[in-house]
Amino acid sequence: MNAPRIALRSFSRAQLTSKSSLLGARIPYRCLSCSTRLAQTHQFSAQNGADGARTTHFGFETISEDSKDDRVGAVFSSVAASYDTMNDFMSLYIHRLWKDHFVRSLNPGINPLTSSSSEPQGMNILDIAGGTGDIAFRLLDHATTIHNDQTTRVTVADINPDMLAEGRKRSLETPYASTGRLNFIETNAEKLDAIPSDSVDLYTVAFGIRNFTHKDTAIREAFRVLKPGGIFACLEFSKVQNQLFDAVYKRWSFSAIPLIGQIVAGDRDSYQYLVESIEKFPSQTEFRDMIRDAGFVIPGEGPDGEGYGWENLSGGIAAIHKGMKPIGA
Amino acid sequence: MATCCRRPFLLSSTSSIRKPPRAPRRSYQSSTHPPPPPYTPEASSILSSSLRHVPQHGFTQTSLTLGARDAGFLDISTNLLPRGVFELVNYHLMNQRLALKDTVQFPEEGKEAGGKKTGVGKKVRALLLARLRGNIDAGVVGRWQEALAVMALPTNIRPSLAELARLSDEMWFLAGDVSVDTSWYTKRASLSGIYAAAEVFQTQDESPNYKDTEHFVDARLDEVQQVGSTVGQVAEWLDFTGHAAVNVLRSKGVRI
Ligand SMILES: C[S@@+](CC[C@H](N)C(=O)[O-])C[C@H]1O[C@@H](n2cnc3c(N)ncnc32)[C@H](O)[C@@H]1O
Repeated sequence: MNAPRIALRSFSRAQLTSKSSLLGARIPYRCLSCSTRLAQTHQFSAQNGADGARTTHFGFETISEDSKDDRVGAVFSSVAASYDTMNDFMSLYIHRLWKDHFVRSLNPGINPLTSSSSEPQGMNILDIAGGTGDIAFRLLDHATTIHNDQTTRVTVADINPDMLAEGRKRSLETPYASTGRLNFIETNAEKLDAIPSDSVDLYTVAFGIRNFTHKDTAIREAFRVLKPGGIFACLEFSKVQNQLFDAVYKRWSFSAIPLIGQIVAGDRDSYQYLVESIEKFPSQTEFRDMIRDAGFVIPGEGPDGEGYGWENLSGGIAAIHKGMKPIGA
Repeated sequence: MATCCRRPFLLSSTSSIRKPPRAPRRSYQSSTHPPPPPYTPEASSILSSSLRHVPQHGFTQTSLTLGARDAGFLDISTNLLPRGVFELVNYHLMNQRLALKDTVQFPEEGKEAGGKKTGVGKKVRALLLARLRGNIDAGVVGRWQEALAVMALPTNIRPSLAELARLSDEMWFLAGDVSVDTSWYTKRASLSGIYAAAEVFQTQDESPNYKDTEHFVDARLDEVQQVGSTVGQVAEWLDFTGHAAVNVLRSKGVRI
């Protein structure tokens, strides 16, 4: 027998279409109501399947770990071109505003006038899961227009060559195409062998980390490559704080988005995966704790762990988490 | 008539509306304004270095960036301060408030020359002047209008007013007035009002050694004794900070 698969997907559909599912009795997890439990029990470490093979999650499916990277790759290959449309639906059309806010709040770039050295030295930024370059272009725009900084560089890293190809193509329409300030590398966020330790000022990951097989490994890699004082910053779909809004948003995302995906992209399964991966992502607090566990100092948090350590966007549909690598770490 | 009957009721219940805190021995260190989370060592070190740049660069991101560098951090490390420049303002306010108990010392009761103890009024005056002196010593007076503008931004008004109330509580506490009576809120509001107004006055004071600010404080204290509350001055302060915000935005080219 192959690695066991719990066929949650077909079940979750059934749940959405019929309230009194007959399947419900036979299947151990109920998709919507058990989502938090699923997230709690599965997010930090991979599980052992019944036959001992390491398994992980693909949306609500449990699959063997080895195949997850491939499956995620396939999803993003199939949505690379229609990617913006999907993000629009997923975020109720406001992901562009979130991204603007994310970049503005990070305030990347170094004004050459305040620079201490005579040679202007911009920041070294790593945009992980940067795919289409959306975040990278914004980072460079901010550095250039706000700080008059012509030297800050962004490395866009993604596991998926199709997303990178899309990013390269789009970069040709930006002023940064042949400036050496932008480069693209194909790599897994969990193993950044191409990036030296203590070399990065700012590590960004937007709407990427929920797709990683081992989120904690990726965060530790971020810690390694950052300079002391460097910032880890993550923009990701999160847990809606208001219960009523949460219910409404879940209805929208679980039922409407895959359907729209079917219509606009002819690819229902990929969109279904995206919706489910959002639902399974850790809550704001849990994710903050993962960042702290990797050794980061959490902003806005006193020595007693007070304060919040994240910023909710649009009532928690998305959230920004940050962490600083301490000096002397 | 309902109105005629309600009026005396309202009058007589004033004291229950403005109810003093229930605990009989409650001091001015009130729990209605719990202190904000203390800063992490990293944040404190960035902020204290940044304050040294305020006289030259003002309450700005530039001061934060330079402070971060001085403290051995990177430019990007200022992301550790989620409220940005407001954090710098708040850090100054908090430090100045906490320093009061060390900068102002009153002789112990009965040990003063002549055997008379310093009255609460005199203590409050000394505390007010000491707190205002703190702005001068920190070199921020010339930059304080920027700070007021930052405090007047919509998201910062609440924490700014809370800090102002904490300062007032601290001063009453240090002055030894732990009385809990119907004037509790009035006293707090009065002191907040006087301080806030004096702080604004101070930003425009060009007299040697800020003598005019001292006179201003004395005049306000006299008024309180004669007229009572100065709640109105908090409103004036809010109004002023609003104008300051508009002026700063205008100076940055925003058309308002
Ligand atoms: C939803 S897209 C986000 C793209 C872009 N950051 C944005 O905000 O528009 C997620 C990206 O994560 C990439 N990805 C998934 N798993 C990855 C991994 N393990 N390492 C690096 N990139 C990964 C995918 O290829 C995809 O390009």
